[in-house]
Amino acid sequence: MKRLYFIGIFALLIIATIYTWSKSYYTEQEEAYVQLPVESGQVLIPSEKGVFERSRFANDYATMREDYKGGRSLDTYYNNRAFHGAPPSIPHPVVNDLTMGDKSCLKCHENGGYVSKFEAFTPVVPHPEKVNCRQCHVPQKTESLFKGTNSGSFSRPSINNEAFEGGPPIIPHQIQLHENCLACHAGPSAPKEIRVLHPERSNCRQCHVLNNKEMTDIGNFIR
Amino acid sequence: MLNKIIMEQTKVDRRSFIKKMAAAAAMTAAATMFPGIVFAAEQIENIPKGGNLDWKKGPCRFCGVGCGILVGVENGKAVAVKGDPNSSVNKGLLCVKGYHQTMCIQAKDRLTHALVKKNGSYVKTPINEALDLVASKMKSTIEKHGKDSVAMYTSGQSTIPEGYVASKLMKGAIGTNNLDCNARLCMASAVTGFLTTFGADEPMGCYEDIDYADYFITWGNNMAEMHPVLFSRMLEQKNNRGAKIIDFATRTTRSSMAANKSILFEPQTDLAVANAICYEIINNGWVNKSFVEKHCNFSKGSTNIGYGTEDKFKFTDKPEAINFEEYKEFLKDYTPEKVAKYSKVSVKDIKYLANIYGDPNKKVVSYWCMGMNQHTRGTWMNNLVYNIHLLTGKISQPGNGPFSLTGQPSACGTAREVGTFTHKLPKGVVMNPKHRELAAKIWKVPVERIPSKPTYHATEMFRAVDRGEIKFIWTQVTNPLVSLPKTSRYRPAMEKESCFVVVSDVFPTPTSDVADVILPASWHIEKGGLYGNSERRTQHWDKMVEGPGETTPDAWMTIEVAKRMGYGDLFPYSKENHVEEIYNEYRQFHEGAKHGMAPLEVLKKESGAIWPYVDGKSTQWRFNSKYDPACDNGEDFHFYGKPDGKAVIWQRPFENAPEMPDQEYPFWLNTGRVIEHWHTGSMTRRIPVLHRAMPNAYVELHPEDAIKFGIRNGEKVKVTSRRGSCTLPASINERGLPTKGQVFVPFFDESLLINDVTLDAFCPISKEPDYKKCAVKIEKV
Repeated sequence: MKRLYFIGIFALLIIATIYTWSKSYYTEQEEAYVQLPVESGQVLIPSEKGVFERSRFANDYATMREDYKGGRSLDTYYNNRAFHGAPPSIPHPVVNDLTMGDKSCLKCHENGGYVSKFEAFTPVVPHPEKVNCRQCHVPQKTESLFKGTNSGSFSRPSINNEAFEGGPPIIPHQIQLHENCLACHAGPSAPKEIRVLHPERSNCRQCHVLNNKEMTDIGNFIR
Repeated sequence: MLNKIIMEQTKVDRRSFIKKMAAAAAMTAAATMFPGIVFAAEQIENIPKGGNLDWKKGPCRFCGVGCGILVGVENGKAVAVKGDPNSSVNKGLLCVKGYHQTMCIQAKDRLTHALVKKNGSYVKTPINEALDLVASKMKSTIEKHGKDSVAMYTSGQSTIPEGYVASKLMKGAIGTNNLDCNARLCMASAVTGFLTTFGADEPMGCYEDIDYADYFITWGNNMAEMHPVLFSRMLEQKNNRGAKIIDFATRTTRSSMAANKSILFEPQTDLAVANAICYEIINNGWVNKSFVEKHCNFSKGSTNIGYGTEDKFKFTDKPEAINFEEYKEFLKDYTPEKVAKYSKVSVKDIKYLANIYGDPNKKVVSYWCMGMNQHTRGTWMNNLVYNIHLLTGKISQPGNGPFSLTGQPSACGTAREVGTFTHKLPKGVVMNPKHRELAAKIWKVPVERIPSKPTYHATEMFRAVDRGEIKFIWTQVTNPLVSLPKTSRYRPAMEKESCFVVVSDVFPTPTSDVADVILPASWHIEKGGLYGNSERRTQHWDKMVEGPGETTPDAWMTIEVAKRMGYGDLFPYSKENHVEEIYNEYRQFHEGAKHGMAPLEVLKKESGAIWPYVDGKSTQWRFNSKYDPACDNGEDFHFYGKPDGKAVIWQRPFENAPEMPDQEYPFWLNTGRVIEHWHTGSMTRRIPVLHRAMPNAYVELHPEDAIKFGIRNGEKVKVTSRRGSCTLPASINERGLPTKGQVFVPFFDESLLINDVTLDAFCPISKEPDYKKCAVKIEKV
């Protein structure tokens, strides 16, 4: 029996040695040359990434009640943006100016929640994988301007934009970096004007299409 | 999260939904009855307007990363900006400056008309008259005081056509080398580093290195704030693939916080630490022997080379070949134990860094920008990092290599490639007769007209203004009276009567305040142009919106002045199409496999192309025969910039900074940028979002130093050097945390001019000033 143990241990050791040796041999053989991926040309289909991202909360959103404290309206939504699609500025004081997203911002903004201090629900970030938050989002420390500016109001995309009565509204804005529909259109922090009536149908793009010039126009087919 | 909200069905909405459905059903029925024609007009009418902007492609106006942007234009106005998803640089992401960039053109104090100073006040003048005045002034100054009494000071933000016509006017038409640019203040050491080590300028790698590297080592480079889009790409690799970021710096920043490891060092000792890493690599036998034998030479240069703080400073390096044994002997002064004593980096950390570089199975990219370039030994420092990569053979491969980042959108494309430096020509240098011949041939000028001796580099140019040697200076796309070191000397110099100052700009700045003529320039998207970013990518954009008033593209103003001076035959370009015509002329300079530029049709279609552009393909990794068709020595690597095809490993010692903290001035002063503002802030401060985020400059202190001086956050602190002083609010434990005995001040604020305090010492080889180190004292006001 004892002998079997010894033989077993030695066998294991030999296997381990062979494994380690061949692994290090092959890593050494690794060449500096890397096969490069073939570059794809023009993107024809707009990014679908993240459409289903928050769908695990969809049932909760569906059964949520309508009237509650701390919701947002489109006015507050647009108030801290320079134009539609611009990264919103940070409307509250920031505890630490140095840390990165995953250590500070995402604590609240990844999944949202009620903050009694601000009497509001935390908006949910549509792109939590981007953690250098302050790269695009900055706080506002003063109301003043360095020099006057003529850049004032901007036009908002319209809300009631069904192509015909009862049709699914067309997506009236670009979706780059906000492909994750439910982040802004469902849940307690979603502005009430744009909250979706049926968050449980999380395949949004099944019915709602983009209307966007970026798609390459191939012209009309003429027989 | 939703527990607080009690479930409640929304019956009302359901009812209205059913109603809508019924209406829809009725309409569908109607549609079947009249197939093909019903409701088409109605559908088009209801298509939302907001999502239907006209998106136009271009490169970002700000830093050297060169992100692709799409500008949303509606009714002839730029109303939105987003990242270009087709650009391989940023893949659709931008930073806060990028997203809001076009808002600056709406500023109320935009320069819309030419202003000419008459009896002490500025008079609105038609642009043609102002250009007449500039041309006649330039001409009469040349007649009276000679060619070398006029100068042009341009920019790494000038487009390729703008740089090209400036060079052609000064060097080809007038015949003076009095042309330099603000890239001297940011990239010159990188250039001399590349030329001394490889004999060819600009990085060998590209941004795709990020996707392959195991380690990112940043040398004195706060990428989270200065190159945020690249840093985000690095963070993505860190999270998805486990790549590691190591921040080697003199100040704790956001980059340090996001890094896997932050190592702090005493200012100037990066020279010693780099040598210590080389010592460790050799001592532990981690040298890639076959690579070094086949592809490297060893050399040493002069030592104790001075700091250029005196006027008319001259220096020429005397390179001398050495062998590996001599180099090994030299490194004995740089054992980790010896270096740890004065660098304040622990022996363990030095060995840790050396280990990463030395491990043959780890891919490493080194990144740096101003920390290493704005350094009185900037060229040396660049050489030393190349030494590390050459000794280990980790270079010119995907994920392996040194990468020098740039700070301006066309520091590479214009300043370095077109060559708007005093010693440069679009191809090569003025000292080389062959290069002068090529330029004369393409420019169609007599070769004798191009002078063979370089004249003033940036700092010396403004010293010459002060001395009264330069009688006429024209600045374009730059704001030297905020960005030069020691502005306390150069502001009074520019105010002197002896020099006629012409400033072309988009907004009034402290530089335009001293101008005799202010010319109104078109901003970025109000003109077409080309930029070249850090990874050798050339990007083109077309004019997207009309500029206000009489604003004119800088290239066209230069051409107009040249025509008025009688050089019209050398500038046969048309106003509508000059960008295209100039680029096609310029491309001839770089023909060939080593630097071929992509044709304009390609650049119009794609989001940029990397040179050398050979047979319709960008070359992403130079000097590596698998990727670079210019390699022709039959080996894996070919450093074809040098005549023998070998790169140089330089023996460069540690030398002290020109001004060190002492009893009287006990603090290091470090200056730099913040994410919200770009350079002198003339654009970003006019963007409401950015100004509100960072309204003014501040001085960062170490908390212990603050306690010692009884300074609390926000209190006024006077920072004084031997040259001047500046009073700023204190910032403790906020954006950044300098090491003890060091203070940091961002330089964007024209009302709190920290460059009055800085020292105009520079690297004797590159002539690039050191903004990162001088001695100051602080006092609470």
